[in-house]
Amino acid sequence: MHWPDLSMGGYGFYVWGSYLFALVAIVWELVSLRQRKKALVKDESSSAVRAAVLRGSTNETTS
Amino acid sequence: MNIYKYASPAAFYPVAGKMIPWFAIPAAILFVAGLYVGFFIAPTDFQQGDAYRIMFIHVPAAWMGMFLYVLMAIYAGIGWAFNARLSSMMASAIAVTGAMFTLLSLVTGAFWGKPTWGTWWVWDARMTSTLILLFLYAGFISLQAAIDDPRRADRAAAVLALVGVINVPIIYFSVQWWNTLHQGATIRILGKPSIAPPMLAAMLIMLAACWLYSVAVVLVRLRCIILEREQNASRFAEVNV
Repeated sequence: MHWPDLSMGGYGFYVWGSYLFALVAIVWELVSLRQRKKALVKDESSSAVRAAVLRGSTNETTS
Repeated sequence: MNIYKYASPAAFYPVAGKMIPWFAIPAAILFVAGLYVGFFIAPTDFQQGDAYRIMFIHVPAAWMGMFLYVLMAIYAGIGWAFNARLSSMMASAIAVTGAMFTLLSLVTGAFWGKPTWGTWWVWDARMTSTLILLFLYAGFISLQAAIDDPRRADRAAAVLALVGVINVPIIYFSVQWWNTLHQGATIRILGKPSIAPPMLAAMLIMLAACWLYSVAVVLVRLRCIILEREQNASRFAEVNV
């Protein structure tokens, strides 16, 4: 094991820029999914729909 | 046990919920492990210096972008051919994650290209075909959003996904078919890889992490889509009583 040089031998902007963008993209995806879920939970009718889905009683037995 | 019952969105919804932690937790562990091997164990490259470490996110992102497109097209095709609603929903759930990985591969590729090639972007075969892949994802997502009836939207998007699948082998073989700035494959299905074992290990661990992350995120999105569609269907039923 060796401690990495934070300046990445002069390529720090490119290396950390890449990983920062990756982090932003993943966080954006997770946050937007969380908001989508929250919006569904907030919507009153969705709780009834969820209950129906969980009961498997949405008049759907096949795909 | 009748496994075919899980082809129904209602039956698959709770199963998907139970599966999510089994993918999300290993994904987080493998991301940490991959970055540890990539930054603390893998040596500095004698030609590219530390700039090559972008590879540990760039290559898995590029592979996931292509792999998820093929998977999306298969699900969309099954949904279209067999009128399987869950398959079409799965294709929709995959599209955003696939687009995210494709964008990530393009941006990290630009970050890698500048110090090694001296340019952020060139219209070479691999980069152009990857950009087309991003447009195909964008087209798939837009087409589904533009058509109100989900079943019609699924069918239209499936046609686009299946036609666009031809782009994936073009991306993969572009470095062999045309002269491009991209290097050839460093990892081959048959034959020895041309990179050092710790570099290969970091890349494969990151690939596994990206794959597990994708499954977890797609399942969360799939559950949202199932609820949204059932909700819309019940509202439609209320209005049209």
